[in-house]
Amino acid sequence: MSVKKTFLSPWRSLLFFVILLATLVWLLPFVSAILTSMRSNDDIITRGFLALPRQISFNSYKVAWTRGGLSHYLPNSFIITIPSLVLTLILSSLSAYALARFRFRGNRLFLYMYVGGMMLPFQVLLLPVFRLTDALGLYDTYWGLIAFHTAFQLGFCTFLLRNYMRTVPGEILEAARIDGCSELRIWAQIMMPLTLPAIAALATLEFTWIFNDYLLAIVLLRTDALKPVTAGLATLQGQYVTDWTVIVAGALLATIPTVLVFLFLQRYFIEGLTLGTGK
Amino acid sequence: MATVTYEHVTKRWGDVVAVNDLTLEIQDKEFMVYVGPSGCGKSTSLRLLAGLEEVTEGIIKIGDRVVNDVPPKDRDIAMVFQSYALYPHMSVYDNMAFGLKLRKTPKAEIDKKVKEAAELLGISQLLDRKPKALSGGQRQRVAVGRAIVRNPQVFLFDEPLSNLDAKLRVETRANISRLHQQLGTTFIYVTHDQVEAMTMADRIAVLKDGVLQQVDTPQHLYDHPGNVFVAGFIGSPSMNFFDATVVEEADTGKFYIDGGSFRLAVPDSKVEPLRPYKGQQIIFGIRPEDIHAYEFTPPGVVPAELDAEVDVTELMGNEIFIYGLTGGRQFIARVDPRTRAHSGETMRFNVNMENMHAFDPSSENAIL
Repeated sequence: MSVKKTFLSPWRSLLFFVILLATLVWLLPFVSAILTSMRSNDDIITRGFLALPRQISFNSYKVAWTRGGLSHYLPNSFIITIPSLVLTLILSSLSAYALARFRFRGNRLFLYMYVGGMMLPFQVLLLPVFRLTDALGLYDTYWGLIAFHTAFQLGFCTFLLRNYMRTVPGEILEAARIDGCSELRIWAQIMMPLTLPAIAALATLEFTWIFNDYLLAIVLLRTDALKPVTAGLATLQGQYVTDWTVIVAGALLATIPTVLVFLFLQRYFIEGLTLGTGK
Repeated sequence: MATVTYEHVTKRWGDVVAVNDLTLEIQDKEFMVYVGPSGCGKSTSLRLLAGLEEVTEGIIKIGDRVVNDVPPKDRDIAMVFQSYALYPHMSVYDNMAFGLKLRKTPKAEIDKKVKEAAELLGISQLLDRKPKALSGGQRQRVAVGRAIVRNPQVFLFDEPLSNLDAKLRVETRANISRLHQQLGTTFIYVTHDQVEAMTMADRIAVLKDGVLQQVDTPQHLYDHPGNVFVAGFIGSPSMNFFDATVVEEADTGKFYIDGGSFRLAVPDSKVEPLRPYKGQQIIFGIRPEDIHAYEFTPPGVVPAELDAEVDVTELMGNEIFIYGLTGGRQFIARVDPRTRAHSGETMRFNVNMENMHAFDPSSENAIL
């Protein structure tokens, strides 16, 4: 950075300082997590959490992966997250298209139901959801968790996509209708490509949310072999009561997919914003 | 190739009547223009035909087939929209090929048709581009191209030129007329611009408040408007209207139009239809080009003088628009460019009463 000295007025210096401070505070937990993961447990016990490592070791990562069970928790997370994400996006974009573009009796009612569902505190529903899964025979299966993730995210996604789809000029859809498109094809070949910016943004958010879910996972899954990484990490706490380095290393490993997804989809997101649909 | 028939077509949204009992027959290969001010129902009439809106009452036929319940894609029509409505995520080629692909046309044939249409419209070099990389005029041509490749029975245009600048609009107007001659297909064209209507149409349908006012060839519509609305809407600048009385001079038996501040002799050919209105109020109409500067009156025009104050003059180069005032009422005259006129002066005009119009004040329908 070659910022000229003349630009550093007192006001700008102060601003710079505040921003620097905020950044450091923001990064502190993350940096301390990285440091912790590279220390040994004994070192932490003797010198506390906030100290520089005497010895740098990546052993905790290995332990987290093998004995800690991340090698099967992490794939589980994907097995749960990806179908949930795909289902959520497909179903919500379909319902959003209908709500955005068709005039039918009850259109508003459906929309309000989606929005209303969004506002219900999720914790209130835990018990009913648990009972319903049990009754449906979905308790302690991947599909049970996938179904409920999808159901819970549908309201928000539909609401967001519906509003975005209303901004697509109606004449484009009419042109497609005259060209010979069925409604399903308009959805697939016209609406979806034009909604890509919103879909990409939603996919990023939803991936993070579903991937990071903890509560639904511990309520709907019992078998250790099925648990996603969030629930899995929690079990480490019981088995290795004091082994913080392994838990932190595991947690750091678990963040990698979300960070990658964000970096990857962010590019689409920005690209998508410049997509012009008008004249 | 097909005729299009509207039989007592009405379109309602709740209490709002957008199209009111429209009956209209469009001939095969005809270039029909729907014209009228915004909200007159012209676009709705077109969209009803396209199948984008449902008919509330009445029947629409394309050829002999009633299409009320036929979905848009099966009506064998193509439409060019005001915003062009190109698919932004597809190349020009794909935009044009899309409709054919959906109809399962063989690839080679699609390729041939798209390239032919691109050639015809001069957009061959743009086929790989995305719509956002095109200028307004180019997009408009792509939209037309997308319609052409489908080879439909009827082409529908919904104000396709209103997003173009003035110069391009004139150019494109001529191109669309040429296209109509080349394709020999029925064209239906919606515009609010009466100049477009006059220059392109075989016949013009004038609409107002959802009601069809008059259908006729441009020249006949211009010369014989059926009512005050059509008379005022077609032609630019608009026709001048005056409240006037029909009077008969007792000793000579000659008829005059008495506008209070002026008195103009009615030519013999126009007397008969006006006779029933003797002594009554009428709306007298005269087009700006039928009011001449007195000294530059063309030969053959029977003198009917009108003295008026000059309010404003507008020089057009090939002619001058004079805004005159007579009895406190403004009118426009298109006069010879050599005319000398200055604001505030009183000037003598000569009105060509052979081209006069008269309308019944209560029904506003034409008397002559």
